[in-house]
Amino acid sequence: MTDDRVEQVTCLGCGCGCDDIAVTVREGRIVDTSPPCPLGRAWFGDGSVPWQVLRGGQPVAVEEALTEAAEMLVRSRGRVLVYVGVDLSSQAQRSAIALADLLHATVDTATSETAAAGLLAGQRRGRATATLGEIRNRADVLLFWGVDPVLRYPRFHSRYAPEPPGVGIPEGRAGRFVIAVNIGADRAPPGADATITLEASEEIGALSLMRAALRDSRPAELPPPFKQAADLLPRLTGARYAVLVHDAEPTAEPRNPLRVEGLIALAQALNGPTRAALCSLRAGGNRPGAESVLTWQTGYPMAVDYSRGYPRYEPGLRGLNRLETGGFSAALVVGSPDFSAGTTSALARIDTIAIGPRATQASFNPRLAIDTGVAGIHDGGTGYRMDEVPLSLRPPLRGQRSTVEALGGLVKGIRLLGQPA
Amino acid sequence: MKGLQQLRIVGGAVHDPTNGIDGEVRDVCIENGRVVAALPDGAPTLDAGGMIVMAGGVDIHSHLASSSCNHARRLLPEEHAAEPAPAPLLEDGAPARSGTGGTVPSTFTTGYRYAGLGYTTVFDAAVAPIMARHSHAELEDTPCVDGGFFALMGNDEYLLRLIASGERGRSRDYAAWLLGATGAYAIKIVNPGGIEAWKSGQRNLNSLDETLTTHGVTPRAILETLADAANQLGLPHPVHIHCNNLGMPGNVAVTLASMRALAGRRAHFTHAQFHAYGGPGWSSGAVPLMEYVNSHPELSIDVGQVMFGPAATITADGPVEYLLHKSSGRKWVNIDIELETGCGIVPILYRDKAAVSALQWAIGLELFLLSADPWRVVLSTDHPNGGSFLSYPALIQLLMDRTVRGERLKQINPKLLAGSALADGLTREYTLNEIAIITRAGPARLLGLQQKGHLGPGADADVTVYSRDPDIARMFATPRYVIKAGTLVVEEGQLRRAPAGRRLHVRPGYDDALLPGLQKHFQAYSTVAFDNYPVRGIRDEPIPL
Repeated sequence: MTDDRVEQVTCLGCGCGCDDIAVTVREGRIVDTSPPCPLGRAWFGDGSVPWQVLRGGQPVAVEEALTEAAEMLVRSRGRVLVYVGVDLSSQAQRSAIALADLLHATVDTATSETAAAGLLAGQRRGRATATLGEIRNRADVLLFWGVDPVLRYPRFHSRYAPEPPGVGIPEGRAGRFVIAVNIGADRAPPGADATITLEASEEIGALSLMRAALRDSRPAELPPPFKQAADLLPRLTGARYAVLVHDAEPTAEPRNPLRVEGLIALAQALNGPTRAALCSLRAGGNRPGAESVLTWQTGYPMAVDYSRGYPRYEPGLRGLNRLETGGFSAALVVGSPDFSAGTTSALARIDTIAIGPRATQASFNPRLAIDTGVAGIHDGGTGYRMDEVPLSLRPPLRGQRSTVEALGGLVKGIRLLGQPA
Repeated sequence: MKGLQQLRIVGGAVHDPTNGIDGEVRDVCIENGRVVAALPDGAPTLDAGGMIVMAGGVDIHSHLASSSCNHARRLLPEEHAAEPAPAPLLEDGAPARSGTGGTVPSTFTTGYRYAGLGYTTVFDAAVAPIMARHSHAELEDTPCVDGGFFALMGNDEYLLRLIASGERGRSRDYAAWLLGATGAYAIKIVNPGGIEAWKSGQRNLNSLDETLTTHGVTPRAILETLADAANQLGLPHPVHIHCNNLGMPGNVAVTLASMRALAGRRAHFTHAQFHAYGGPGWSSGAVPLMEYVNSHPELSIDVGQVMFGPAATITADGPVEYLLHKSSGRKWVNIDIELETGCGIVPILYRDKAAVSALQWAIGLELFLLSADPWRVVLSTDHPNGGSFLSYPALIQLLMDRTVRGERLKQINPKLLAGSALADGLTREYTLNEIAIITRAGPARLLGLQQKGHLGPGADADVTVYSRDPDIARMFATPRYVIKAGTLVVEEGQLRRAPAGRRLHVRPGYDDALLPGLQKHFQAYSTVAFDNYPVRGIRDEPIPL
């Protein structure tokens, strides 16, 4: 029995986008991934996924399913929800959004319920950021704001910062000063060079005082936690290149949406006395890819409504949350999202089509389901890292049907029905 | 008119300066996507009687398909919301796409709008190599135009190291490798050394011989190395340069010094208007700049005209965007891009009552009007930095009609116009043939696109037909017909078809001895594996060198 070893595979298990994974394949199954990373191993699994096409739970030919799906969607034109998942290449996301445009659909993605606050704050203020390699090669002061990457971004430390040496940091960890800011239950890394702890209720005030300190207008007397926060300023302004790291994805802890705005403002302001960037950690799958494709096709990174025949931005009206009231009569779910019980039961009341990895196992029992490959495991194309660097996907397994092919078949089916009025 | 194999455009006044044709009434024959000398009798015809026929427009410097553009799009939802763009109704039932406008429109809308202006070839002037994959994807979604991009190299870590060790030949090999790996068309320099200075804490480099302390390299050495690389590799387009000190009073000195540094070498200096300010206060530096350009045939420029109204500044020149943010108070994006370059974005409003905007507007016009050789002075607004490409027709009107220009001049803030050649009275009016040169024939020649910008046999069948109109701006804003590679894209002023464009890129050869050192560099510092870095599967073959 010979094993195949595929080198330099890109992992979408978290937003780190490690593209140095060696994947060992035996008899069409993944048997090992190296270096070992718990999220990477969970992402790849053994690579086995179903390859079925089902209508009402019964097998059906893919052509037939696509024809019926096209009819169903055209009937509902203007009242369709298209959900674009994260286990998709950007090419598949691009096809899904093209379909949404064609169908005058409302588009929803994972972003609406995860990183939306940061995107909205960025639209108000802009942002000062850097790609991960820049952080690795330059950051001499790192401030972890209520996050320890090791838990949800296991190789962030070793690939980006603070561990590896970089162009400007030949000593690696020893050449960097690490600040940990614990906020309530959101803990920063242990072993930092300086640590402060804030109650969740103190966080926004502390961020404001840090900016005040930057403007030389901090009050003379401050209670201890605020004083500690304001005292961090000389460390940051004394850096050659300071990087603030926060988690843009939600945690169990409720989060004040002003956190990200405060961090954006602080990172921007630090660029007066020195250079600084805000690093926003993003979870697995091709989340920034969906945002990127939506932006170039519509101008907006999420929550796009095509129902009037052109893209409208509705960041306050999430598509999935309008299943009960939005007048949708059909939903096309691309990818394999993990929907809440409420969403699942709302989907049960309308026509549903699922196309994507494990579509036939979707919790909402779609009327039609077409299984396709997972981005980066069976499907090639592009996946975006958390810093929006586009990465080449190098699938270690051969799939039976790519998401792009299936969606292409659907577009063809819709065109054969003619452009609806 | 669908799927035309042959078409005879009959009776139009043809402006084809490449072939010495200046308004002569003659037929243009098209077969299988190319211009041919003749067609058999009975070939389908398109009546252009009384109209003006030119090759499709060629934009040498735009920002339309890059990760930076996409960050700008994301930053400006308020502009998109104010300008919805429903899908055009295409004739053959092809699924047209909706989108949004604003200073940085969505990709499909960008393609449709360029075609709607009669432009059929466009280059994105600034792409970070590591983001090249993204640009190719955006270009895939930008129909109707052939397109490509220039790869940013003037602050590249590996290149700076090679220059610091005096390895000019190896630098050339590296530039060649980067062009091929990214599928780019030309070498771009933005603020040579200054972006690395911004990222490393030196903040900026203000003169040609100021040393970048991290590497011991000067802007002069970067310019020389990459200009030589482009010329020695025989690239179709020479090095494309955005000088140091963009937007700063007095910067014409460093612009002239950069030109002198490259004396005798082919080089293109971009958005010259932003680099043509006298000093120490604000004043026009157009006269000395154009005196130099006019007397050095190896140089070319595009103007980067400022047009009054909203714009979005998008540039790899991080330090200048920081200063713009501080002075304007507008929202600001900065993205430092590993080992290669930067990105800055600030929205801006050019107001005719604002003294600096008015000066910028005047300087741009001076560059055009003082030009002795239209083949080397290309029309651009550095879209969307000086204004949208949609303002090209209004700009053409300013160049062709001195009455309109004079009236506009009376309305603007005159405070900084003392000593301005425009204020002193420039009576020149561009002819239609000169417009054909600065919008298609000239840029095509400077880009080395032998099949673009003209209507001789063998040229790509990219043709724009304008109805004569005393209102020049309206005439150029609404072509009657636009043909792209033989396909009638705009008909009776309406977009009817939206074919995909071609990718224009090069893949020069290099000495493999480059690779071991480069791989080692990737291993030590890059976060992307060397084998995963190149963009593969680009649809069209590279342009032969």
